[in-house]
Amino acid sequence: MSQLRVLNTSLFLFVIFLIQETIISRINFPINGFSLYLAALMVLLALEDRTGSLVFGFIGGVIMDFSVAADTPFGQWALVMTIMGYLFSINKESIGDFTETPILFIGFISFASGFCLLFFALIGTLLGEEMGGLIRNFGLIFANTLWTFLITPIFLPLIIRMRKVMLTSREK
Amino acid sequence: MAKSGGNRSRLLLVLLLVSSLFLITLDLRGVNLAGAIRGSVASALSPVEKLFSNLFSPIGNLVGDIRNLGQANEKIEKLTKELDQLKSKEIMDEDTVGQLSQLRNVLDLAGRADYKIVAARVINRGSSATFKETITIDVGSSSGISKNMTVISDGGLVGVVKSVSSSTSIVMLMSDPTFKIGVRIAGTQSIGVLSGKGGNTYLLQLLDATGEIKVGDKLVARGSEGGRPFVPGVPVGTVIEVQSNTSAITQNADVKASANLNQIGIVAVVVSPPKGDPRDSLIPKPNPTVTVYVTPTPTPSPTK
Repeated sequence: MSQLRVLNTSLFLFVIFLIQETIISRINFPINGFSLYLAALMVLLALEDRTGSLVFGFIGGVIMDFSVAADTPFGQWALVMTIMGYLFSINKESIGDFTETPILFIGFISFASGFCLLFFALIGTLLGEEMGGLIRNFGLIFANTLWTFLITPIFLPLIIRMRKVMLTSREK
Repeated sequence: MAKSGGNRSRLLLVLLLVSSLFLITLDLRGVNLAGAIRGSVASALSPVEKLFSNLFSPIGNLVGDIRNLGQANEKIEKLTKELDQLKSKEIMDEDTVGQLSQLRNVLDLAGRADYKIVAARVINRGSSATFKETITIDVGSSSGISKNMTVISDGGLVGVVKSVSSSTSIVMLMSDPTFKIGVRIAGTQSIGVLSGKGGNTYLLQLLDATGEIKVGDKLVARGSEGGRPFVPGVPVGTVIEVQSNTSAITQNADVKASANLNQIGIVAVVVSPPKGDPRDSLIPKPNPTVTVYVTPTPTPSPTK
């Protein structure tokens, strides 16, 4: 993987992060909000190779740690996303089955987003943070999963297209 | 070859995990890495957030509007008639009018309690990266804002300033599950602790086991030493349901907040507490009810 692509993809993720923090966060979704950034990152991780999943998982997590509203230790999202990247990388063959069918792929991305939040809450609890009530958190995770499933089809083609643009000629 | 690739991936994984844990350890050990970086990001994002706040303020209720789309057709005919009447009047921006109204009310509230405040606009809400209930406001340390200041709206308590950059501040809303505030039932000396539950209702735990809570009781903030994080006298909420449990040591009740946290556009940060406790003076007075007594007169019998 070239350094140029790491840089390009990181910038792309940062732009989506800005969109998330400045626009998407403003929308009052019922129950809980939708995270465009998380969904986009899951799409990228699913499409990357083993090394790419790990590297972009870590970088994507560090970018999430930049969130000004986050009251969590810096590095917590990086840890969660690195582990998610690892889970993606060791299941590449299985994920390949999903990418063939758009609906299955979207379902997979939604499930992965929900799993990320669950994992984040779990790590937060292990680090001694107050994460709120169990029912509330499950509600938030469920709502996020649902919104991801409903909204991802709108921007999925764009993410895939952008990723193709960012591939170097050798990787294409 | 594949084994070599696998080893490399494993080495990379270990490196990245160690880096993440290193960052977390630094943060938990008190190295203010996160504060500095997040402060810089907040300062950098602030102009963009303000810009999008101005451009996209109507999209906040987009989903709610879509849900009501079904009823829209019925209203079209009625609205078309009203449109002609409206054209003859000066149409003011409803958003601006709403914000002005909120500002006027919050200034009125602060004035009655002698709070010194800095008014602010809500420019962002929450984040995808946290389970916390927060808002971002467009004033920061350059306007005299610092951590642990009380934030109020026209209805009452909103939350407390959690972190500050030069031009923006993050406010933890009172609905956050980790939020706790000492309150007093207005008109009595009964005190308790109000906790956020992550939704629109709150839990009141009365400290005095012999005290009495009634539906409709108004709660005000007791205040903290030096007015931080809470200034005294701010309306907090109203008791909507008393939980009757004879085995409980403390009395509990569900509370509805005085401020509508879902529709706040303008807030005020209390930068200086009042000299004295305003007690219950900020509780809105109920509108007087007019009682009309009617004495029925017997129906006159028809005369021949």
